[in-house]
Amino acid sequence: MSDADQPEHAAEPGPAERPQPAEQPRPAGQPQPSRQPRPAEEPQPAERPRAAEQVRAAGEPPITEKSPVPLKPETVEKPETGQRQGPAQKPDTAENHGSVGRPPIAEEPRSKRPPWRPARPQLPRPSARPGQLARLLMPAEPPPGPFRRSFWRSPVRGPWLTSMLGLILLGGITILFVTGLLSYASYNPNLGGGNDYTSGKGWLGFYLFSWPTDPTWAYQLNQGLHVTLGLALVPILLAKLWSVLPKLFEWPPLRSPAHALERISLFLLVGGGVFEFATGIMNIQQWYVFPGSFYTLHFYGAWVFTAAFVVHAGLKMPTVIRSLRRRGLLRELRVDTAHTVPEPPDVSSLVPTAPSPPTISRRGVLGFAGAGSLLLVALAAGQSIGGPLRRTALLAPHGQVTGSGPLDFQINVTAAEGGIKPEETGNSWRLTLSREESGTSAPVTLTRAQLLAMPQHDASLAINCVEGWTTGNQVWTGVRLRDLARLAGADNPGAVLVQSLQQHGGHATLSAGQIMNPDSLLAFRVNGVELSADHGYPARVILPASPGVHNIKWVTTMTFRS
Amino acid sequence: MRRLTRWYGANPLHLLALLACFALAGYAATQLVRSRPESVAIWFVGAVIGHDLVLMPLYSIADWSVLAAVRHRAPNLPPVPWINYLRVPTGLSALLLLVWFPLIFRLKTHYQESTTLSPDPFLWHWLAVTGALFLLSATAYALRLRAAHRAVR
Repeated sequence: MSDADQPEHAAEPGPAERPQPAEQPRPAGQPQPSRQPRPAEEPQPAERPRAAEQVRAAGEPPITEKSPVPLKPETVEKPETGQRQGPAQKPDTAENHGSVGRPPIAEEPRSKRPPWRPARPQLPRPSARPGQLARLLMPAEPPPGPFRRSFWRSPVRGPWLTSMLGLILLGGITILFVTGLLSYASYNPNLGGGNDYTSGKGWLGFYLFSWPTDPTWAYQLNQGLHVTLGLALVPILLAKLWSVLPKLFEWPPLRSPAHALERISLFLLVGGGVFEFATGIMNIQQWYVFPGSFYTLHFYGAWVFTAAFVVHAGLKMPTVIRSLRRRGLLRELRVDTAHTVPEPPDVSSLVPTAPSPPTISRRGVLGFAGAGSLLLVALAAGQSIGGPLRRTALLAPHGQVTGSGPLDFQINVTAAEGGIKPEETGNSWRLTLSREESGTSAPVTLTRAQLLAMPQHDASLAINCVEGWTTGNQVWTGVRLRDLARLAGADNPGAVLVQSLQQHGGHATLSAGQIMNPDSLLAFRVNGVELSADHGYPARVILPASPGVHNIKWVTTMTFRS
Repeated sequence: MRRLTRWYGANPLHLLALLACFALAGYAATQLVRSRPESVAIWFVGAVIGHDLVLMPLYSIADWSVLAAVRHRAPNLPPVPWINYLRVPTGLSALLLLVWFPLIFRLKTHYQESTTLSPDPFLWHWLAVTGALFLLSATAYALRLRAAHRAVR
């Protein structure tokens, strides 16, 4: 909010800084296109006291009286206030209004009077009516409480802090989006048959590329990054939302159609953001109380969030660049709590008009949020790395080491949970290999002894879960999937549907690349011993670089197609 | 165009960007709400209300109350600002709780059934980390107090 129309501030400017007529009454939140026109000479009772408050806040804040004199002249807001209100801020005002509900100045018919005043009588009737209605429903004076700007007191709130946190989130959420999309691609959703979790293939259920099986750590890295970075961004998101909370209580709540639409997009942004973080965090703790399948919700929720996020980042980018340029990061990082003063009042409406004394610096807020990120990562990353570091994951679902035996590694579905009955996995168990195309060779049925008589191969592979944890490398022994394909008469298979005794979700379709990789096995043994029931006895699939859930356990049939 | 711009209140590009946003979000939403539309809507609204009108006011009031309560004892306060030595460990501990409360409080989840891992250690891990944070913070504050006393002498 600018108080450029205050004569107190107009006293100083030199010729170059003489306020432009069109510039003067453009403080954010003041001129409302939806409001009734006022005669230009009529004093604006609602604005006077607020503007006066602002002068006090910027010029003689209680804080500057009590605090020691700031070390660096740049941090002293007082002498700057008068000048800052002048044309120096003009481009800012124009740009910012561009995103908060005002047309850019360049497009205005630059007359002597501010655009919003003469414009009123010329407005088409239908738009004048909502203006009147809005005025009836919403008095110009905000109701007491959070709708008054004086309610918000933290001196560190302002465009700099919000921009800094926004920039961190921009980088972080971009990585979350990319890793999320790669995670979607890694299921090879185009193959169907249990790979596509995104209910009903729509436009967004597009096919990206066939997920590679090399390097073997690709999926582990992708999921570890997605989940651990997601955790790390929680405190940044919380700090960002804290920094902009006054915006939720903007008064008047709707200034123009542009403002209304932007606020709807902000609902999608905040709702979508919290929804995505909440569903992700709940899913890794296997607390499935969200309304539907995690994959569908997290996937389409991400698109809702991303749509709002891209537009928000685009609209706010000029503000971010401007705010960060005005106060360099290194300069701001040298300011301690005692020397922290509010930013000069500006159109963002984030800077408090009645600040309390500082209890934390801006660098303190960044450090606090950053410490939260580091702590969450330090206590969780071990589950994504495995090995001796797993023990450091004190607060992560898969940080526990259960023992040192050959079968002591993480699992995610037990035989009991999968509904596996012991009689089904005994001597009567058979593996059926067949081809989807009719008129080809008859299905091949193999006993476990026959399979064990085939050439056995070792592969040192980890199972990496979509939830971000890894089992670490285990040595698996079994027959190559490509040998089984040949046995089924599919020398050049396009895909294979693997099915299992597991009652829910025990199937997946593997790609040609996954079948043909020499490390892709139907495993019978792990780390030199027989598989246990929970690890998939009598036989399980193990694949390099693939989502853990595609390593089907308790396999019964494999149906190849070209 | 100028009229539209003025009525709308922003650059036409602003309108186009938002319409594109709503088109994509709207399409994704139709897929999102397929199974249980009301529940998904409740979750979205609940996410906003839960954070903006419940969680944030709660921690703001907590922070403000501590500041207000202690300010009345101002004369007895040590000369070194203390609030962040309380705020930081409390905030970090609360953050861990916010993220991991289903495990920490052993809520009824699929965790134990699916992973065969015990949910028991999480409460103790959280308490231990919390204790360590407060200990670190207290040590840091003690060191700063000592430095301040030395400077006075």
